[in-house]
Amino acid sequence: MKGMTFSVRIFFLTLLFSLPFGFVVAKGRMSKIAPVRWFTDLYIQIMRGTPLILQLLFFYFAPYYIFHASYDRFVAVIVAYVLNYSAYFAEIYRSGLQSMDRGQYEASSVLGFTKAYTFFHIILPQVFKKILPSIGNEVVTLVKDTSLASTLGIAELFRVAQTSSSRVFSTTPIFVAGVFYFVMNYLVAKFFDVVERKLDYYE
Amino acid sequence: MINARSIVKSFGDNVVLKDISFTLEKGHVLSIIGPSGSGKSTLLRILTQLESADGGSLDLVGKTLFRDVDGRAVYESNAVRRELNLKTGLVFQNFNLFPHFSVLRNITEAQRAVLRRGKEEAEEKAMELLKKMNLADRANSYPCELSGGQKQRVSIARALAMDPEILFFDEPTSALDPELTMEVLKVIRSLAEEKMTMVVVTHEMNFAKGSSDEALFMDEGVIVEHGNPVELFENPKEERLKRFLNTFNSRT
Repeated sequence: MKGMTFSVRIFFLTLLFSLPFGFVVAKGRMSKIAPVRWFTDLYIQIMRGTPLILQLLFFYFAPYYIFHASYDRFVAVIVAYVLNYSAYFAEIYRSGLQSMDRGQYEASSVLGFTKAYTFFHIILPQVFKKILPSIGNEVVTLVKDTSLASTLGIAELFRVAQTSSSRVFSTTPIFVAGVFYFVMNYLVAKFFDVVERKLDYYE
Repeated sequence: MINARSIVKSFGDNVVLKDISFTLEKGHVLSIIGPSGSGKSTLLRILTQLESADGGSLDLVGKTLFRDVDGRAVYESNAVRRELNLKTGLVFQNFNLFPHFSVLRNITEAQRAVLRRGKEEAEEKAMELLKKMNLADRANSYPCELSGGQKQRVSIARALAMDPEILFFDEPTSALDPELTMEVLKVIRSLAEEKMTMVVVTHEMNFAKGSSDEALFMDEGVIVEHGNPVELFENPKEERLKRFLNTFNSRT
């Protein structure tokens, strides 16, 4: 049961930081300044192109080898998850923003809305609706990915299940853990269902 | 109301507007006709500040928007640009209504956020316009629930709610079937009767001929002929305009 709290903490902290940070990355990816664009593109390629488990090890051990400074492994885990998920969210935001009809910007400009007003009141609500299913997909994956934190010895759900399974010589705890992941994702899916239905009033 | 002198615009190597000069009086309706790619829409986009001119000068509503300095168009301050932006309205070919807002909110949003009108005042104005458009019963619908003709009438109401002094239309009926076209043109005609200054880019030759005070034929970035619409349609002087009108006549 204590394993659950770590999994849930990883889950919420990752979302808390990566959802907004992904937006910054998306902006960088669409930047007019070429070097900024290249840099963010490289970052996204690396984050998406290498296994998360490897990134976890990197973010924990790299500071140790480079600066001979060790730091809390939980912090390392959160940093790795946030940087990884921001890359995925950034690409989702970008696809959403780029799919917006130019006419929406033009109508806003002709009516005299400021750029900021146009973004927050006209563009963002529509983009949000468009990308919600893709975001839901990523969030479901995140629930399952929290199990990878076990590689750094974080006592999250999967690791707790593994150790107790070797203690009692039975695979039952691991199966129970599987049920927990399933239930959590069932709740996540239901949540996204409700929000999607709430936004179903147009288009 | 409009005084355009030698407006020039190119996209890369492609010169879209070569030397556009014309004037329009207050309360007049001007129809702009011409084949696709003749620069009509670009001209409209420069007049509504969606695009900036490369050269020439332009006065709108008695104010200068940009003037020619050594062959380059120099724009006035942002304050002037904004003031003129608020005095001009634009109706698009594909409506560009805000899909996530109700019909009512489509019309009140800019009144409230831009003109800082109160909720009641904005809604009263919107309802008054919707009544005029025969759409009072659709105030709480969403754009996706409306026909094309209804959408276009909402977008006209949205533009009128800002009390523009000139209203521009960019092929307002090109996305509509003939029946819906008629209902939108009827609205534009009724605005003409109220002496609204309007510039309409259109392929509706009957509208251009019968309902506007002036007509202007553009081709390849230049104004080929500009004048009284009946005159222009019945006695075209330029060879290019004659050919254009012939293709239209043989089609119908």
